[in-house]
Amino acid sequence: MTQKLFLFVASFFISTLTLASTSVNDEMGVFTIDSVPDRVVVLEFSFVDALANIGVSPVGVADDGDANNLIDAISSKVNPWTSVGNRYQPSLEVIASLKPDLIIADPDRNASIYEDLKRIAPTVVLKSRGETYQDNLDTFVKIGTIMGQETAVKARLEEHHQRMDTLAEQISSNFRFQFAVANERGLWMHGPKSYAGSVMERLGLRVATAEERETAYIATTLEQLLNANPDVFLLGEYGETTIVDTWKTNPLWSLMSATKSDRFYEADPRLWSLNRGMIAAELMAEELVELINKP
Amino acid sequence: MRLMSVSIFLLLMWALLVSLSLTQGAVVLSLSDIWSVWQQGTLTEHFVLWNHRLPRMIIATLVGMSLALSGCMVQSVVRNPLASPDILGVTSAAALAVVGLLIYWPDANVHWIPFAALIGGFSAAGLLLLLTTKRLAEPSHLALIGLALGALFSAIVDYLLSKYPLEINGAMLWMTGSVWGRNWSHLPLILPWLMVLVPGAIYLCYRLDVLSLGQEKAASLGLKVTHLQVVTLLMAIALASVSVSVCGAIAFVGLVAPHIARFLMGGRHFPVIIIAMLLGAIILLAADIFARAIAPPLEFPAGIFVAMIGAPYFIFLITRYKHW
Repeated sequence: MTQKLFLFVASFFISTLTLASTSVNDEMGVFTIDSVPDRVVVLEFSFVDALANIGVSPVGVADDGDANNLIDAISSKVNPWTSVGNRYQPSLEVIASLKPDLIIADPDRNASIYEDLKRIAPTVVLKSRGETYQDNLDTFVKIGTIMGQETAVKARLEEHHQRMDTLAEQISSNFRFQFAVANERGLWMHGPKSYAGSVMERLGLRVATAEERETAYIATTLEQLLNANPDVFLLGEYGETTIVDTWKTNPLWSLMSATKSDRFYEADPRLWSLNRGMIAAELMAEELVELINKP
Repeated sequence: MRLMSVSIFLLLMWALLVSLSLTQGAVVLSLSDIWSVWQQGTLTEHFVLWNHRLPRMIIATLVGMSLALSGCMVQSVVRNPLASPDILGVTSAAALAVVGLLIYWPDANVHWIPFAALIGGFSAAGLLLLLTTKRLAEPSHLALIGLALGALFSAIVDYLLSKYPLEINGAMLWMTGSVWGRNWSHLPLILPWLMVLVPGAIYLCYRLDVLSLGQEKAASLGLKVTHLQVVTLLMAIALASVSVSVCGAIAFVGLVAPHIARFLMGGRHFPVIIIAMLLGAIILLAADIFARAIAPPLEFPAGIFVAMIGAPYFIFLITRYKHW
């Protein structure tokens, strides 16, 4: 009996040693992988940030066909990658040809090809599009766990929070802040449920659309913008001309608190909206410090 | 005999496109590669060929056929050269159902999208028939009511899209009409329908020929005109709804393919249907090849290229053809 028990315990230990599998909860349930992945393909920008923070270079990124969609602060930390196409329609052929052993996908954009992705490589589905600051940190921990880098994750998180706290101390402000993106068709305010909004709240700032807890990206007309009436307004513009060009000629535009007090700023939409992650959050915080402490 | 020669020519063209479809793309394979992958492929090439390109090629072919056939049938009932499955409001109703599903049940499985589209399409068709059965003697009423319904559904879709920009990304993509991300799991959604509806359409050909003489003449020859119109419309709607449910809204195939077929084959329905289906398959397959081979690794919705290939050719055709 004792011998049997011993054998059982011994075999149990051996099996856990040889099959050192890792599990994390993902958007599809539980994701399990048997070994630390080496070749990673990511289908959203925020995952590149997460990998860069633990010193892993993805072999493929859905970068919308242009590596410059990632800010230098992130892309300089990783090796050059192969583009796998658009984030919303990544090329399955290119992903397969990179022979990945891990694919990190977004539940919103990539749900329809989940089955195909799983046929190529183990696929973990983690929140990216429309995520908050806290979601992003949770995703970072999960990616770190999968990559077998718990210690590095812990150290980096600690460093990040210290950095954010230091920056937060430098920007105590009673102003109501707002970030928005605009293109030719419209303008969307990023409320507290969005990444930019939740970073502002992390820094102890008030967001002008603080009551909007339902939608992350709020479709906005000029009148609605005036109603939100931010004291500091940051705008990320996609494209040469946007709807704001016409708004600027409207008398209402100059009635906004931010424009009246000359606190309307152009911001890089890549940094403020596309490249969600700790590196971006720290840079956003630095930009805010600079804007507020400007004489 | 003309049918035979034109079909053979089109089949050869289709075969050429099939070989392009299997070899071209972000990863270029040669025809001999295909054979060796078949025998013993590495996992990658096997995936690219067997799980990705082959089902995609088959889906494009079947959806193209289905849309073209639907277009033929709508045109013979409405008897208007501008008629196409798009005017039945089926496409926009399917889009509305999908957008509604994605907004109000965001946790719904993506596999439900085709079924939502199918239900949306059929509901719109039911509404359309309810509003028009008494007016089938004036087929233009059908087209006008269909257009009005379509405009209404599109308006609701636009409203939802601007109200919920975030939830809608997948829906936008699906509505542009794309063969991207389609795989073997989509085949059962369309193949059984075609296996029933294509023979059904061929069976109706002779009656549709009689109908094309005009409703009064057809009735005096003993044809149950309204009956035939309703059955034909239902089949056309089913074909359009199924296509939309698999690939999203791909405009123009249902309009262009029957016209080219009629231009080539004249007015008899049997040859027109056969040739139109081949043309539909060719148009959509060609569009999909363009969509993914033009700037790899970027992939574009095939629907865009259908319009880009189809529209200029259609204009050329219309300016040459004077027998409306």
